[in-house]
Amino acid sequence: MLRHIFLAMLGILALAGAARAAGDIDAMTHADMLAAARGTEVRWHMWGGSDQINAWVDGYVATEAEKRFGITLVRVPMDAAVFVNKLLTEKAAGKDTGTMDLLWINGENFRNARQAGLLYGPFLDRMPSFRAYYDPEQSRYDFGFPVDGFEAPYGRAQFVFEYDSARVPNPPRNYAELKAWILANPGRFTYPQPPDFTGSAFIRQVFYATTGGHGQYMQGLDTKLYAKNAPAAWTWLNEIKPALWREGRTYPRDAAALDTLFARGEVDMCMSYHPAHAQMKILEKTYPGTVRTFVMEEGTISNTHFTAVPFNAPNKAGAMVVADFLMSPDAQLSKYLPANWGDLPALDVARLPAEQAGAFAAVDLGAATLPAGVLAGAAVPEIPSGYLELLENDWEKHVLDQ
Amino acid sequence: MARPLLPLLLPFAGIFAAGLCLTLCQSLGLFLPLGSTGPTPEHYATVLGSAAMQRSFLFTLYVSLVSALGSVTLGTGLGYMVWKLPARLRQTAVVYKVGLILPHVAVAFLVLLYFGQTGLLASLLHRLGLAPTPQDFPQVLYAGDGLGMILAYMFKGTPFAMLMTLAVLFGFDTRLLQTAAMLGAGRFHAFRRVTLPRLLPAMHSAFIILFLYAFGAFDIPFLLGESRPGMLAMRVYDIYFRKDLTERPQAMAILALMFAFTALFTMLYNALARRVDDRGRKL
Repeated sequence: MLRHIFLAMLGILALAGAARAAGDIDAMTHADMLAAARGTEVRWHMWGGSDQINAWVDGYVATEAEKRFGITLVRVPMDAAVFVNKLLTEKAAGKDTGTMDLLWINGENFRNARQAGLLYGPFLDRMPSFRAYYDPEQSRYDFGFPVDGFEAPYGRAQFVFEYDSARVPNPPRNYAELKAWILANPGRFTYPQPPDFTGSAFIRQVFYATTGGHGQYMQGLDTKLYAKNAPAAWTWLNEIKPALWREGRTYPRDAAALDTLFARGEVDMCMSYHPAHAQMKILEKTYPGTVRTFVMEEGTISNTHFTAVPFNAPNKAGAMVVADFLMSPDAQLSKYLPANWGDLPALDVARLPAEQAGAFAAVDLGAATLPAGVLAGAAVPEIPSGYLELLENDWEKHVLDQ
Repeated sequence: MARPLLPLLLPFAGIFAAGLCLTLCQSLGLFLPLGSTGPTPEHYATVLGSAAMQRSFLFTLYVSLVSALGSVTLGTGLGYMVWKLPARLRQTAVVYKVGLILPHVAVAFLVLLYFGQTGLLASLLHRLGLAPTPQDFPQVLYAGDGLGMILAYMFKGTPFAMLMTLAVLFGFDTRLLQTAAMLGAGRFHAFRRVTLPRLLPAMHSAFIILFLYAFGAFDIPFLLGESRPGMLAMRVYDIYFRKDLTERPQAMAILALMFAFTALFTMLYNALARRVDDRGRKL
């Protein structure tokens, strides 16, 4: 009898232990995470297409992570869609301990990852930097999909057009003028082929501009509204098509291909989802020093990009420590400096102490980058992703294949 | 001979067969990352019913046929010419192997560098005053006819066809040609009746390998392909990586159809080639 009770107690203890081990990471405070993360390695999987961003991560972020938290940061270059696919495979194969700790993610990749249960969370409310300096409203949605604390905001981007002021003295101010300019200068304009990120953003803005603004679309996908409005955007895009580069028979595959055409002078206008991109290219000597950027009167799309932790991350505590550090005023300021990256801060500058807020205001973004005030004044939100996919698919049907 | 190799073959066959099975399953809507609803042919119907996809198929077929045929014709011709060279000069002809060593991506970049609207050729013509602005240079790349891709594939394929034919030619008994000459055959006649029939098997293999590669490859279309009609490999890439997860079965259906087509094509081609060769030999 005694022995039975003893065994039963052992069993209960074992169960409790297992439950605690599983619940461990969810119960950790930030201080616990700091303690657990010291001396560990964090593998950050992120898009690796920009030398400058890579240098910032390998330099500033890695050095600070080592100095402040004793974390060795390893950057693994990989496109977001590729690591989401990798995680899907790992999930299907039942691999509970993966190889990625931190992800740089947003938009449809985040939605795909969330819907397939690939992300760990929610963890955002446990991040001290988020609680202190961030406006929760600003990052409640990612392309219209609820964030729910499963990713941590870490930067903001905004769409801008680029032109060479030596070749185009008066750039268009709105979409009507843009169309007139394109028709008057055949072969000198094009956009990356959706579903490229930048090209897709361009057609979304045409959709906003030709159908009376973004406000009506913010409540999620309304197929009736879409069916009524979309033809106006296709008409606009088809009207400019014969005057595009290669008469619109073909489009640059991605934003980098358009950059090359622009740098070589094959087209006169370019576009980027990164406001300091032109300045970066000037500093890199790829673009002439006379390149400037502009936004439209109808506004340009802006979005937030995030970091997230995979469900099977081997070092979740370390990943969250790095995610919190990336949100901190120090990292946000370093990222904002054009010589480092020039990425817009995700934090709310108004919540900072006066001295730190002053440091943000004093950042010189370079002649090619629009002042933060102009950008903020023109910013319009991203469209919910249901619309995004319809637009990308229908673009093929109604514009490319016409 | 085959039996000792069997264990080595197993993992390869296993991985390949497993990949193929998963592709087939997903094309039927099974084992999907977002959950599946049971087997359905609807994705095949979507893919086969799409006019854009049919255009892509015909275009891919055209690019791969033209480039494989061009490579084999040019490669055989050049190989024959190299073989006819005096032995001393033959040594220098190894430069043709450069095209074999370069990876496809590098060749695609070379084509981009030379034939782009602001490429080296355009700059040269500009210097010579033949093309005052970049727009005056003929549109070789991205003009919608796949010429850039065909150029790149031929640059890679021609040396390969040369390699294949030269291997046969170097082992070729020249006394056969002397006999033909003694029996009164002219040079052209001797080539057509004696040399060519011996080259044909190598040419057929070269053609099939080059055609299959060009039909399914991704790297050259990625750099030199046009948006419309896109190569099938690019369609698959776009659907798989850049679109919604729910569309993934379509990518898998295209892959399965491509596989079926290439298998069928190879079978028919081999049967046809055998018939033609046999008739040639009887004559």
